[in-house]
Amino acid sequence: MTAVRSLYDDFVRTFGNVLFAVSLFVVWGALTIVGVVVDQGKDPSVYFQAYAAPIARAILRLSLDNVYHSPWYVGIVGLILLSLTVCTFKRVIPARLPPLRPIKVDKIPLHAGFEVAGDPETVRERLAAFFGRRGWQIRERLFDGVEWSFADKHNWARRGVLVAHIGFVIIAAGTTIYWARGFSGETAVLTGETVTVPETHATIRLNDFRYAIQPIMTKSGMVYQPIDYVSDVTVTGKDGVPKHYIVRVNHPIDVDGTLYYQSSYGFGMRFRLTDRGVAVPGVPGRTLAEGDSFEVPGTQRSVVYERFVPTVDKQSGMPAADPRVNDPGVVLGVVQGGSSLGEALIPLHQWVDLGDGWRMTPQRYVLYSGFQYRYDPGIPLVGIGAFVLVAGLIVSFYFLPARLYVRVDRTAAGRSHVGVAATTVKGYDVFENEFRRLMVTLRGETT
Amino acid sequence: MKMPLDQVLLATAIGAYVLAALALLVYFFSREDWLRNFGAPLAIAGCVAQFAQLIARYEMTGIWPLLNLYGSLSLFSAMAVAIFIGFAFRYRAWYAGGFVLVLAAIFLAYGATWNEGTLPAVPSLQSYWAKIHVPIVVSSYAAFLVAFVFSCIYLLKYYAERGFMQPQVVAPMATDAGPVVPASPLAVADFTTPVEDSTPALARAAASGNAVAAWLTTLPSLPQLDVIVYRAVAIGLPLISIGIITGAMWAKESWGAYWQWDPKETAALATWIVYLAYMHLHTRHAWRGLRTNWVSVLGFVSVIFCYLGVNIWISGLHSYKV
Repeated sequence: MTAVRSLYDDFVRTFGNVLFAVSLFVVWGALTIVGVVVDQGKDPSVYFQAYAAPIARAILRLSLDNVYHSPWYVGIVGLILLSLTVCTFKRVIPARLPPLRPIKVDKIPLHAGFEVAGDPETVRERLAAFFGRRGWQIRERLFDGVEWSFADKHNWARRGVLVAHIGFVIIAAGTTIYWARGFSGETAVLTGETVTVPETHATIRLNDFRYAIQPIMTKSGMVYQPIDYVSDVTVTGKDGVPKHYIVRVNHPIDVDGTLYYQSSYGFGMRFRLTDRGVAVPGVPGRTLAEGDSFEVPGTQRSVVYERFVPTVDKQSGMPAADPRVNDPGVVLGVVQGGSSLGEALIPLHQWVDLGDGWRMTPQRYVLYSGFQYRYDPGIPLVGIGAFVLVAGLIVSFYFLPARLYVRVDRTAAGRSHVGVAATTVKGYDVFENEFRRLMVTLRGETT
Repeated sequence: MKMPLDQVLLATAIGAYVLAALALLVYFFSREDWLRNFGAPLAIAGCVAQFAQLIARYEMTGIWPLLNLYGSLSLFSAMAVAIFIGFAFRYRAWYAGGFVLVLAAIFLAYGATWNEGTLPAVPSLQSYWAKIHVPIVVSSYAAFLVAFVFSCIYLLKYYAERGFMQPQVVAPMATDAGPVVPASPLAVADFTTPVEDSTPALARAAASGNAVAAWLTTLPSLPQLDVIVYRAVAIGLPLISIGIITGAMWAKESWGAYWQWDPKETAALATWIVYLAYMHLHTRHAWRGLRTNWVSVLGFVSVIFCYLGVNIWISGLHSYKV
């Protein structure tokens, strides 16, 4: 039991130490910065291209390519929560309302002493009235036959740090709820088609998608500024009743508690494949999205629809900067046996020779809209936690709990010595000026 | 060609800042009152001109002026000067004005290089949150700039004073629940004499005619400077906390998740962590002062990385130069 007790004491001593908490902050901040500087969630080859091989290997082995979900990061946040809990119970709550007890007045850095006329009882009454008028809470206690007066201001604000800590814990609880019960994902819907969201079984039909891009001449040249992305959808939720919605950026829709957001758009493409001039029906049998590919029948070649080019410059035959659809084309790549045979920009309705008599023609583009969806039952808790955290910070920073220790002693017949010392939860410097003003006024009013 | 009103106001602000900065920088060293009396009104005039410029820009274009780096840097420098003016009046701290104004003028001039004219907002920025989140975050950065300047002055005075200081025992401080401690120089037992300076050796050197020591005594004591830094961080930390929270609320509305680990979000989190560390360290007497002021300097480096570094060098969801 002694060993367990010793271990427990060590644990409490370590995790209840503010410097230990700050050390955890330092590691937390450093890992966070690593995530900012090192690209996250990329293919391993990207890191080997960007960094020297030993560094790239270290990034991958230490999970720094996905640092925010790495054991290090989650572990540090867990340790901070543990430290916060121990600090709350060991330091914050005990220090919240310190006991009333006598002190050596002249040993406290902020102290004052002066003589006034009157016996101690009368002087104490005058002092109580003085502090009471200024909003100080007065309490009197007897210690070893000596009467002490204690004046507290903003005593309630001692709970500020506790409130901030509670807010942090509530936020952590809210995010944990999302991890346990929430989900998110994304889907793309071609105009005129319907998709089913796997997690909710809701269906989304994209009736129409529109976008607005405005060309604006700036000092640096022409800028094509996106103005609006609008999806016209029909969504069928749990009640089985199709409902019509307009989805825009910053204007998500709520279907059975799951939110759907406008996140992207693109151009699907219908292609026509011919073999020695004869159309091959059903290949490719669907509208391809950018990045999709299909195999050319009877060959080992596959064609990749790499990307849509809204405007092909007529003079150069190269992609133009204008993202609006004027003279569109597509970039196609041909792959054989895993090796690229090349790529080409093909204007719409013009064919490209794939070899061996095969030709392919981009025929028609179809806009698709990308949606993100998210179900997060922890959001209300995170919101409450954020509010509580900020409230705690504001209370901690803008209200200074201070305590005055006042002792009145008889010095001669009809005269008393007043000794006052002050402490605050933030040291002495922050209260120095106010204490000085207070004491000057006190002396002026009581002598 | 007639200059648009917002450009006139911008030029006025920069001009006023430069003149005020020069006057207050000289005042920092000379303590000639007329320099303060010349620089302070100019600083106030420049700040007013800057806010007027932002309003004029909004009135002229109908577009919220903080949606690009030009607009947000303009608010940043205006808020930094405004917060400083508040501190200058509250703590009689005009001596720091030259440094604040130099930084404000630099950021303002740099922001002007990002002025591409009037551009409508991209869809993700077309939100009422732009009018809440951006000013709050930028104001927090401004408060941290003020803290940074006072931290630099603290460090300057600290290292300059070291040459005059005799080895001395630093008394541990008591807290409400802490032990009773020996007396420190802050004691105010006798109201007929002023509070002693925290470094009597410096006062002795000044009295013996040392010019540097004499100049150092014109600055507030180290504890007083530390309190000013603490007050500035105490403005910035709640603001950046609210800024991160409102940003998360906006992100949830715009991108579907309140937290995406976007470089801007995480850099702001890192900045928040640094100032959180500052506040925790400031509760420890042994760390309050020199070390916390170095943390404040580090914090402002983090602010600049978060504000400008991430926007300009790292692509992400915030890559529209806000």
